[in-house]
Amino acid sequence: MSELEIWLTIGALVCATAITRSSFWVIGEHVSIPTRVQEMLRYAPSCALAAIIGPDLLLDPQGTVEFSFHNYKLLAGAAAIAYYLARRNMLETIVFGMACFTALRLLL
Amino acid sequence: MSSPDSLPDVAAHHDPSWRAGLKDGIPTLFGIAAWGLVVGVAMVKSGLTVMQALGMTLLVFAGSAQLASLPLIAAAAPIWVIFLTAVVVNLRFVIFAALLAPHFAKLPLWRRFLLGYGAGDMTTAMFLQRYPTEKPAEGKLSYLRGLLYPNFAAWQAGSIAGIFLGSAVPAEWGLGFAGTLAIVCITVPMVASRPALCGALVAGVTAVLAHSFPYKLGLLAAVIVGMSTAMLVEGVIERRKAANV
Repeated sequence: MSELEIWLTIGALVCATAITRSSFWVIGEHVSIPTRVQEMLRYAPSCALAAIIGPDLLLDPQGTVEFSFHNYKLLAGAAAIAYYLARRNMLETIVFGMACFTALRLLL
Repeated sequence: MSSPDSLPDVAAHHDPSWRAGLKDGIPTLFGIAAWGLVVGVAMVKSGLTVMQALGMTLLVFAGSAQLASLPLIAAAAPIWVIFLTAVVVNLRFVIFAALLAPHFAKLPLWRRFLLGYGAGDMTTAMFLQRYPTEKPAEGKLSYLRGLLYPNFAAWQAGSIAGIFLGSAVPAEWGLGFAGTLAIVCITVPMVASRPALCGALVAGVTAVLAHSFPYKLGLLAAVIVGMSTAMLVEGVIERRKAANV
């Protein structure tokens, strides 16, 4: 991306945040969101985040699926998920996951 | 002049509430700063310059949307795809805003806009814990500010530290992976229910399979498939419950 495109992208992210966070504040009045729509709003973000994690952990730089013990990101990511489930601490999990990733990278 | 039975002023400064907000927010600040630090590192490690990263953190102030945009920027995805992705990641804020905004309906438009822009996950959760109803109460705005300002400052301080730290560390350390790990940490608690977990797993797999879609549209396709799966599973669970009653 060019310098200009990156700043335009940052502008687009500002709009995305303003639309989602501020719309109901601008309306001001109490608005009840239908249950069905609430469900969609609730499920969409975790799906989007999972859709970022999946390719990040499973694809190699050439874009082919790498499901093996040579995929250090996948191994470290799985270890980090287990760690987070056990300890529920974000910072510790990131340090632990990075330590696993670095150890695999340097030792294997 | 206010008559004894007039409504309490939500917007007037109320020192005890302001201090209560500060006090309630303090325990969360370290975590916020650490999360900012990780996002700061991830921004420069994914290829943004220090200026661009500073601009992004100061203007956007939405960690998960920023993290989500980074791989797309690195892959030179079209801006409208990045925009839609950020909207989707931010959709949870729509629910928060609908709950929080009516408390402050009487404030001027511009201030409502800025308060909404600044109110993230933590601020909203803590405010609603103290004021569960929309009934006007003295000091509501002071309490919100007490939560919001330090939250913003801690986030920015962490983020800016991360940007300079990240730019000082060699790329071989692979610190960009910390961004992925941070996304893992925010996603795991979001998928505590069975429909949400099924949806996220399906979305993750779909995104891998649809990786080569043009314009990086695989991600949005994955969201639609995953969300439909989650709602389908929820429907099945509800029907089963209804059948067992």
